Formats: sequence, structure tokens, C-alpha cells
Amino acid sequence: MCSLSHLGFVELTIFPTVVNLNRIKLNSKQCRIYRVRVNDLEAPFIYNDPTLEVCHHESKQRNLNYFSSAYTAAVSAVDPDAGHGELVIKVPSELWKQGDEMNVLKVYIEFSLDQPKGGLHFVVPDVEGSMAERGAHVFSFGYQNSTRFWFPCVDSYSELCTWKLEFTVDASMVAVSCGDLVETVYTHDMRKKTFHYVLPIPTAASNISLSVGPFEILVEPYMHEVTHFCLPQLLPLLKHSMSYLHEIFEFYEEILTCRYPYSCFKTVFVDEAYVQVSSYASMSIFSTNLLHSAMIIDQTPLTRQCLAQALAQQFFGCFISRMSWADEWVLKGISGYIYGLYLKKTFGVNQYRHWIKEELDKMVEYELKMGGVLLHPTFGGGKDKDNPTPHLHFSIKHPHTLSWKYYKMFQCKAHLVMRLIENRISMEFMLQVFNKLLSLASTASSQKYQSHMWSQMLVSTHSFLKSISNVSGKDIGPLIKQWVDQSAVVKFFGSFAFNRKRNVLELEIRQDYTSSGTQKYVGPIKVTVQELDGSFNHTLQIEENSLKHDIPCHSKSRRNKKKKIPLMNGEEVDMDLSAMDADSPLLWIRIDPDMSILRKVEFEQADFMWQYQLRYERDVVAQEESILALEKFPTPASRLALTDILEQDQCFYKVRQGACFCLAKIANSMMSTWTGPPAMKSLFTRMFCCKSCPNIVKTNTFISFQSYFLQKTMPVAMAQLRDIQNLCPKDVLNFILDLIKYNDNRKNKFSDNYYRAELIDALTNSLTPAISISNEVRTVDNLNGDVRLILEEITRSLNMEKLLPSYRNTITVSCLRAIRMLQKNGHIPSDPSLFKSYAEYGHFVDVRVAALEAVVDYTRGMHRTSPSEVSRTHPIPYVVHKILSMLGKNPPFTKAAESPLCNEALVDQLWKLMNSGTSHDWRLRCDAVNLYYTLFGLTRPSCLPLPELGLVLNLKEKKAVLNPTIKPEQGPDTTEMTGITMGGLITMETVSSVSMSSGVAPPPQGLKRKLDSVVGPLGSSSPEPGQVLQEEDTSKKFKIRFNTVEEDEIDMESPHDSQAFIHHHLNILERPSTPGQHPAVLSLPVTPLPSSFGKESTSSSKHSGDHHHHHHHHEHKKKKKKKHKHKHKHKHESKDKERDSHAFSNSPASGRSARSPSMSD
Amino acid sequence: MIACNDDEKNDEVTVHFLFLKDDRSRSGCGKATSSPAENYQLARRRTLQVVVSSLLTECGFESAEKATVESLTEMIQSYISEVGRCAKAYCEHTARITPTLSDTVVTLNEMGFNVDTLPGYAKRSQRMVITAPPVTNAPVIPKALIAGQKRTHPSHIPSHFPEFPDPHTYIKTPTFREPVSDYQVVREKAASQRRDVERALTRFMAKTGETQSLFKDDVTAFPLIAERPSSIPYLSALLPSELELQTLEETDSSEQDDQTDSENTPVNNLNDDPGADKENSVLLAGSVVPLVKVSEESMIDNPYLRPVKKPKVRRKK
Repeated sequence: MCSLSHLGFVELTIFPTVVNLNRIKLNSKQCRIYRVRVNDLEAPFIYNDPTLEVCHHESKQRNLNYFSSAYTAAVSAVDPDAGHGELVIKVPSELWKQGDEMNVLKVYIEFSLDQPKGGLHFVVPDVEGSMAERGAHVFSFGYQNSTRFWFPCVDSYSELCTWKLEFTVDASMVAVSCGDLVETVYTHDMRKKTFHYVLPIPTAASNISLSVGPFEILVEPYMHEVTHFCLPQLLPLLKHSMSYLHEIFEFYEEILTCRYPYSCFKTVFVDEAYVQVSSYASMSIFSTNLLHSAMIIDQTPLTRQCLAQALAQQFFGCFISRMSWADEWVLKGISGYIYGLYLKKTFGVNQYRHWIKEELDKMVEYELKMGGVLLHPTFGGGKDKDNPTPHLHFSIKHPHTLSWKYYKMFQCKAHLVMRLIENRISMEFMLQVFNKLLSLASTASSQKYQSHMWSQMLVSTHSFLKSISNVSGKDIGPLIKQWVDQSAVVKFFGSFAFNRKRNVLELEIRQDYTSSGTQKYVGPIKVTVQELDGSFNHTLQIEENSLKHDIPCHSKSRRNKKKKIPLMNGEEVDMDLSAMDADSPLLWIRIDPDMSILRKVEFEQADFMWQYQLRYERDVVAQEESILALEKFPTPASRLALTDILEQDQCFYKVRQGACFCLAKIANSMMSTWTGPPAMKSLFTRMFCCKSCPNIVKTNTFISFQSYFLQKTMPVAMAQLRDIQNLCPKDVLNFILDLIKYNDNRKNKFSDNYYRAELIDALTNSLTPAISISNEVRTVDNLNGDVRLILEEITRSLNMEKLLPSYRNTITVSCLRAIRMLQKNGHIPSDPSLFKSYAEYGHFVDVRVAALEAVVDYTRGMHRTSPSEVSRTHPIPYVVHKILSMLGKNPPFTKAAESPLCNEALVDQLWKLMNSGTSHDWRLRCDAVNLYYTLFGLTRPSCLPLPELGLVLNLKEKKAVLNPTIKPEQGPDTTEMTGITMGGLITMETVSSVSMSSGVAPPPQGLKRKLDSVVGPLGSSSPEPGQVLQEEDTSKKFKIRFNTVEEDEIDMESPHDSQAFIHHHLNILERPSTPGQHPAVLSLPVTPLPSSFGKESTSSSKHSGDHHHHHHHHEHKKKKKKKHKHKHKHKHESKDKERDSHAFSNSPASGRSARSPSMSD
Repeated sequence: MIACNDDEKNDEVTVHFLFLKDDRSRSGCGKATSSPAENYQLARRRTLQVVVSSLLTECGFESAEKATVESLTEMIQSYISEVGRCAKAYCEHTARITPTLSDTVVTLNEMGFNVDTLPGYAKRSQRMVITAPPVTNAPVIPKALIAGQKRTHPSHIPSHFPEFPDPHTYIKTPTFREPVSDYQVVREKAASQRRDVERALTRFMAKTGETQSLFKDDVTAFPLIAERPSSIPYLSALLPSELELQTLEETDSSEQDDQTDSENTPVNNLNDDPGADKENSVLLAGSVVPLVKVSEESMIDNPYLRPVKKPKVRRKK
């Protein structure tokens, strides 16, 4: 086993911009800081992280309103944008007087990070061999600005500085970080090498990242400055997956008429990634699961889209950063918008419009359900009282308090609004604006800090809008006011009548602006009317009181129906007009066809009009709308229209896929009058089966992707058919079983794993609830015949996966879902143990998520497992995030319903999770808050006893002493610390324990040397006018050393060391690290650990008592943990004595003890 | 040739048969001869006895013991048989099937008989004339099993060549049913075969290893092979299996040429050095991968591909 840690040194050079700078505030979490020196003088510092534990006093408060405000206050208290930080360094008084001369301050911080829970993620596979052979790697991650988790910095997107980074790693590893790799140098013993990076472009600390691993290196053949990195053995996949990247580069550079801003680009593919794509300055970190071989169809477009997203964020997000959180929407909007342009160019207009509709629908649905999404929140005077979003259970004042889902919708809305702006000012102007932003930024980036140009690299809502008005000369104020400064969407209801006498279309458009998430819209709206003589656009004005609009028709109804009918795109088609109303010339009507309002439209027109729209309107959005509408008209005519669309090759494949499901629904509604074979069966036979033997499907080729997708979808839709007994027709089931049986992929150059998975999904869809005779136990003998066949297929497929695993284990995923469905419908005994075993660490992440989904579903159905039980033992942040969001989506109970699960232990557990258990990951904390909200609502959960009766722990007073101030520090402090940082250098090492003790001393010297060379002539400066910036880093120096230490080799030099080691280990185990304790310089009150541990152990024992019927190993673990705690208590007492002697010393001994590797189970 | 052998065999069989018969008759277990073949042989033998007797008479013997006559008959018969056998051997040696005079002459010479004396001997005065052996029914040779129709000579083979042997000696005899080539049946077979193999294989794996079960009452029904956590789960999930790769190679074999061409062109374009073209064309014939690597490594200046510096360099700084 090895310990996961690193050692680091950070050096910031600060230009003071005010005279009496005596405090410097930096962000730092988790890091253990040993010493801080300012200009070679030891500087006292205070470390205080209020987000570690959000609520202190009210240990029995369980009210989400309270929590949210406390959490927001805690985040504000350390908000770098407001000049706050967890780490407050007192500038030694000797340096105070120099303030007049505005001398440069060099702040040097020595720190270590041991077993980080957030910020850096270590992946160490448990196999034989050296670290490199095992494919062990580490990468930085985080949600928004989270760099403070792995080194002290000003963790803000608006504090730019240049960087020098050094990482010392094992000789078998590669360290990939931001900027240009200048050189790689061996250490003296030749066992390690140091990577020297220089990033001359001013970059915010939040955009700095790192990944280290035994990566395989691929240089992009078309652009040698682009380098790809993947884990061992995956190089062939990397080669294939990256073969399109240059096209994306070319596209962006062309539309932006601007070269890629950095001199190099690196892509790193890592396992257990936090998100699929994350972009940092000149590098992007991707999930390794995006890699695919040439045989895979479905993953290919997804991977390309991820690459395109990453690259778009390189321009807007990394190179151009934001001024403040309120300006985030501009960057997300622009990067999302240009990504959309890429989609349009590469995947076609249909795909693009489909995507826009999908995003719009998703966003509208969220806003209507949860209340509005506000892109540009303004906070009046910093007072919390005027909360712009009272409907939400979290604050949107900081990115770190946002729910993940909200943030996703925020991004969604941002790019949709960008599209609206484009509609208003034209794409040409839009791209000019982008180009202007980029060229200003790149001019600024090459300037020295002293020129005060760097603020051009930050974009704000104001500057963006100003560029727009400068470039286009148009006023988009109303648009911005409606969609950016205001949350919510518009909800339209439309209906019409045709006035034959006047030949006028009387259109009525009503709005719902009273329900949550809606707003009133006033302004133009486009309506497209397809008449017999052509298609006509009308722009109507939506005003306060006008509901009705008269639109004159251009054509008369005609008796002569032979003439061709011109469509919007100029095409002329023959139509069978017999279905339409003989008196009216109207074929179909569309409201806001271009989606130029963020709206939901519910429009009423006759079924034949929807059918015409489906058949003849060429816009995929219109086709999808009509498919949705036709569900309500189960008639033979609808059936015919859908079947025709299914058969049309030219039709967009996603529309055809949608038609499949609609047809299944219609067929079910028409059950009694349905004639002929089950829906789609003959169609499928004609398209995909052999001519000579129609019951056998052709051998797979998948050359035409359109038919491939249709072939995948049709069986799934068919399985939704039901007969009069509400069972899946026997015909259909046998048909699907035959498809599985005769599936033959031997002659195919593509993999059929997705197809086979969908066939399993089809089997799942065909399941209906078992007829249960009383409450008998499900046994093999009373298994229904059809179900037996299905189960046999599933068993065989799942077993075959063990021998021949499919790409991304798609088939296992489908099988797990199928088994859960069998359980749910009562065909087989409901039992989560299978899923629990698949949910264990060591399975492919998709499989784990599918298994966890089943467990979550089981929890809901059976009311037995405690949900958060599941979330405890999973080390991968992504998986925990998934668990929490799945629980939120499919909650075991809600605030409205009574449930045996809703008990005090659960409340406590969840409360603890969000209060202190998730302090290492913003996203997780917000997920936990979300779940708490879903389960218990905003107020105190009803299952809790009254607060007065709650037991108050007697150690509480002690704790109160420690309480960090939650409120942000007052005015004087912030002005005092105004200054500028400069100079930086990071060194990272992966050291084995042998060199550990010797490794401490030399770096400072090396650092000094470097420092001298970096720090040039610096003049005094004052902040830019109009800027709120209080600090500016011009460059930083870091030294971070990685420890990968063999446990056996731990050198216990003294009893003190070993005690400190144990103490430290327990500390890490039980709570997020609490730095500041060890290297205390100020007389910091000691954390009364016994109290908190005592509390934890009681609650967890209570918990295990309540759920003792669960897995034994769970209990076992808990017992183990408790033991640790007792041991710790004991140690702690003896430690307290020692602490007195060590509290004020900066001895290397204390440093070493903290760096000691921890033992792992 | 085969036909010749057959004839020869028949001859030999005949001769042999004679001996056997004699042995039998001599050993005195005489049985009434019944078969026409035996009658035929006996008639010939009797003629030979007459010849021996007349020769003895010619030489001046008045009487002879029966046993002596028998022995002499035996000797003469052997002699004649040997002459016949050798003559046939000679003729077959020269690729003919019917012995000619010269074959016989050579044979006689070989056996130490002076052929020149033969005409004189034939014209001796005191020779006796013996009547021809009585005409008996030629023996019915039992027919060999005929399988199929004998083939007649095709036009390019002269008719004097021997006939084709029995078809069964050169035509394969189907001992199985002809495979069904009907598409539907083939697909059905392939499908059920694959399914059977898969089922057997998974059952076997389930029986020999750990399993998980969906039912509590009957653990053996629908056994699931127990999942095994892997330490690097993404490898098996992302890399194509060998089976898939094999399929890919098979299906791609036809398209491969085009693909490699198109893949190579950009690389070649990047390679500005005209001198390298020859090398490329040579390498192209071989494998593609080394070419790409060679050109990449020599052309690309990427910091990650540069060699790691020795620490000494740093000291000098």
C-alpha cells in the first residue's frame, strides 16, 4: 500500500497597491501548512476554514433554511473575489514600514497534502508491480474554482498571474500541467525527474491543473504542438479517438479568426474522472471512458462533442476568464454557442436544431418545475435579504452553493441566450464580438503586469454588452433584461379559428405568467402559416392585453387539388389533400418556429394538420413537435403518417426514432381497432430481415448509421405494445427473442454491443407485472413461461459478458436493469444483493451506476435500506455524486409522504454529510443539500423530536471556543491587505520514503535561487479604475512534492512521531483535514476532537443498530471504525500534553510527522 | 494396369487352386467333384497326364507307377506355369498386357532352355498325337461386386486401352447426407449452434466457479457467474476483445489497402524530405506502423519526446 500525498512549496510575489498592507489572505483547503515566510521572515498565520463544518452551535438544528444561509455565509467568508480566504498571513511588522516604498513582498508557503479527499484524485489500482505498471495516476479536479484544495493560492478566476511550475515525479511518470514544458531534468539519484513548466500567459489559479501518471504519449500528427496522454495500453484507442481533433481546431480558429491562444494543448485521459470534460489553461482532462476503437458507432459522436466542448472552453473560460461569478454566463454562453456552431457544421443542421430543441425543452422543464434560472444575479449592496431567487433552497450567490442540476441548466440557458443574441444582431456581428474579445485579450496577455492591461483578459457582462453595442450598433437591452437579468421562461397556449368569410386566421395566444418559473413576454413573435399556396411568416406583437391576432390568408381553399404546394424551403410537393377541411386553405401553423424565445408552446390544431406537418414540414423541430402532438390522436391516419415517416430514408433518424415510440403509444390506444400485425413488425421485417425468410434478421452490417439507429430503436418501441390483457403480445416477444437468436455480427466491421444491449432493453420493456396469487414467494417453479425465456436470455447474456466483455459493458448494464425490472414486476424475488455486489469498487463505472440505480430503486420500493448507507464506501467522487443525484431523482420518500425510513438517524446522517462530511467537494455538498431538500423540505423534518428535547452534548462549550467566525471580516481588514502577488514556482515530487527526510531541507534554497532570477524590477502600482480587485498575482512559484510511500518503510524515529502519525491518520480518516492545528503559530485553540468523535461514534452506532439486518461487513467496518476512535481518544489525551510543547515550534519534526504516510486498511 | 493385375491374379489363383486340389486328392479325402470349375481343372490335368504318359511311351517305358506319373505331371505343370508367369511378367514390364512370342522366347532362354532345339524336337518322327482335351464348360468366374456404371472411354482415349475399373475404386462413395445449403436452415443452424455453445460454456463456467443466484429456493436455476471486481476495470471495458479484433481484420482485409493508402498520404506530405520517399515506398510494402513512428520521431519537435536532461547540466547553470 502506498500513501497518497504530496509536499509542496508555493511562492507568491505580491505588489502591494496600498500603503499599509499588513495582512494577506489566501485560499487553502485540506493543505497542512508548515511555515509561512514573507521576505525571508517567519510570518504568523491563521488558518480557518468555516466550510469544514457549516453549523457549529446548533447541533440539533435540522432546518435547511438555516443551513443554506449558514453555508452561504461560510462560503462568502472565504470568497476570494471579495478578498477573503481561509489562510490569513500576518505580514511581519518589520516589513510594514516598507509599505511606503511599495516594495515587493515574497510570500513563501511550505505545505503538504496527505490523502486528499478533494482537489486531487489518486487512482492506484490494486495489482502487482511498480506504480507505473499498475497504471497509478493522479489528477486535479474540482467544481468551479477548487484549486485551493491542492495548493494555497488566490482561488479566483479574476486574479491573473503568470506561472512557473515544477513537478518532481518518479522517473516512470509524466507530469502534465499547464503551460509549456521547458525541460525535464533527472534528479541526482536519477530515480526521479523534474518537469519544468512555464505559463507566460496570465492565468487564474483556478485554471491551473495537474495530472501525473505513466501516460502513453501521442503527438497529434497534424499539429505537433498538441499532445495527447492516455493510460497504458490504450494508445490504439487514443489514436483513433483523437484523429478528428485537428478539424475542431481548424473550425474554431476559422470562425473566431483567431489562433488558439496557448502555444500548446494537452489532452489527458484519466480514470475515475470527476466530470467527462474539464478544461484548464492549455490542457483538458477527460474521462478515459471517452476513448473508443473504430468499431464503436455510438460513442464516436459523443466523444467528438466532448472534445469540441473542451476546446471551446479553452478560448472562453480558460484564456478569457471571468470578472466575477455574476459574469459566468457570458463565458459559458459563448463556449456553448460556438460549440453549437461546431455541431451544426459537423453533424448537420438537423442535429443542431434537434439539440437546440432538446436543450430548450430540458431547460424549460427545469425552470417550470424548480423556478427560474437566473443568469446574471445582482446583489444589492451585498445584503442577503434581497435574495433574487427566493424559490430555490440554495443560494446562487456563489458557484459553490449551487445545485449541480441548476448549474447545468444555467449553462444550457446561457448558450440559448447567446443564440437569441445572435438572432438579434446576426452571426457575423456575433463572431466579430468574440474576435474582439479574443484579440484584446491576446494583446493584453503579452504585456507586462505593470501595464495594467490584464483586466482585458477578464470578461464581464458589462464589457460584453458594450462590445456588442459597439460592433453591431444594436440595442439588445430588452433581450438582456428579459433573459439575463430576470429568471424564468414563457409559457404560451395557442389556438386558432379560421374565418371563412373574411379569409382570415384568428389566432389566439395566451400566456401563463403566474405559475412558478414563468414570466410575462411582451414583444414580437413569429408565426409561420403553411397554406395551400405556400408558407408565410408573420410577426405578431404580443402586448399586454391583446390575445387575438388576425392573420390574413393568402390563398383560398380550392376545389382543384391537383396543383403542387410550395413549402418554406422552396420545394414543391404533391399532397393528398383529401384529409383537410375543404373550406380552409390552412395546412398547418407554427408558433415561434425558430425558437427565438425561451418558451414552452402548447398549440392546438386539428389532427390532420399535425399529420401534414409531420409529413411535409422539413424542419426536424416541427416534425418532433407533431410527433408529440399525434400521441393524442390515435387514428388510422396518424398511424399512416407515422409509418410513412418511418419508411422515409431522407427523414432525420432521430425523428424516425421518435416516431417509433409514438406509433407504439398510438397502437396501444387503438388496441381494439388495430388491424394487421403488431405495429412496426412488418416494417422491420421489410427493412432488416432476409427476403427469403422473413423471420430471420439479416446479418449485421451497420453501414448505414441511420438504419442502424432505427434498427436499434424499433424493437425497444415494439416491446411497449400491449394487448387487451395489457400484456406484451406473444408475437412481439417471440419476434424480439428471434432477433436475439439470429443476431449475427461475424461479418460486421462494427461492434454490435449497443444493438444487443438495446435488444435486452426491449425484453425489459416487454415485461408486465406478474399476476400474483396472494403474497406467495416467487420461486423458480411458478415462473411464467415467457418470463422464463426472457430470463434465460438475460442470464446467458450476462454470463457471456464475463467471458467476452462488451465495450463499456453496455450489455451488463442492460441486463442489470432487466433484472431489476423482473424483480420490480414480481417475477423473481426482490433482492438487492446482486446489485450491491455489482456496485462495488472494481467494476466499470457504468455498471456501478446501473447497479446503484437498481439499489436506489429497491430502496424506494421496499423501504428498507438506508440510502446513505450506499454512499459511504465509494471513493470515486463521480460515483458518490451519481448516488446522491439518483437518490434525489428517485427518492425513497418525499416530504409529503410518511415512510418508516424517515427517522432521526437518517436525518442526522444526512445532516452530517452535508454539514461536515462533504467539505472536500462542493458538488457533493450541494447534492446532499438537494437530497435533504427532496426528503425533508426546507423546514425541520417532522420525524425529529422538538428541538428543546434534543440532547445537548456537554462538550459543546469547548467546541464553541474554536468556532471560526462565520461572518466575513469587516472593512478595515480588507483594505489593509490590498496588494499584489507575484512570482511563483511549483515543484512536485513523487518520492519514496528513503529520500523523504532529506527532501525537506533543500527546496527552500533552490527556491531562493529561482526567486532571484524571477523577480525583476517592480514598480509600485495602483488598481485599475473601476476594478474591485484587491490582489493581483503577477506570477507564482510553487513547489509541490508528491509522496508515494511504501508503508513498510515508515521510519518511526521517536514515540512522538508514531503518535503524531496515528493521530494524523485518524484525523484524516474521520474528518476532513484540519490544517492549522499542527504548525500553529498563533495560539490557536485546540480542536476538541474527543467531543466530535464521541458524537460521531454514537450516531453511527445508533445507525448500525437500526439497520442491523444489513450486510455483515458493513457492521464490521463500523466496529472497526469505532475501535479507531477509541484508540484515538486514548492517544489524544497523551497528545494534548505534548501539544503544549510543540504548539509554537516550527520544528521539522512536526512537519515530518504530518507527512508520514498513513496506514490504510 | 489394374485390369492386368486382375487377370494375373486370376491365373495365379487358378494355379494355386490346382495344387490345393491335388493335395487334397492325394491325401485321399476325395470327394465327388461338383463344381464346374473343378471339373474343368481336372480335365486339363488329365490331358497333362496323357501327355506325360505318351512322352514316357515315346521314350520307351512300358509302364509307370502312378505316383511317378503324378510327379512328372506335377513337374510339367509347374514348368508351364512358370513359363506363363514369366512371360506375362516380361510383357507387363514393357507395358503390354498380352505376352508375345518374344516374351516366351526370352522366358525360355532365361529358364535355361535352348529354344533353337524346339523346332527339331517338334518335328521328331516318333511323336504321338494326342487328342484335344474334352470340351467342358468354361468355369464361371464369380462376378466382382459392381458398384455403379462402368465408364466408357472418353473420345480422346483409344478404345484399345483397358477399360476403366469399377467406379467404386476411384469415385468417392458418399457415406453422409449432402449438407443443406438452404439459407434459412443455415442461419437457423448457426444460431442454435452458437446458442448451444454459449449456453454450455456459461453453464460450465457457472458450475466450476462461484455463482450468484436470482432465486433463493433453487440456487441452481439461472446461475449467474459471480462478478469479479477487477483492479483496472476500464481496460476490459474499453479495449476490443480479441474476437472482435479478429472479426475486424477479416472484414477489413479487403478494404485495408485503401485505408492504409489514405492514412499514409498525410504523413508523406508532412515528410518534406524527398530522399525519404524511397524509403517510404519500401516500407510501405512492409508494415505501416513503423513508418509513422520513424517519420514522427525524426520530424516532430515535441517537448514530451525530448530526452530527459541529466542533472549535471543543471548544476552548471
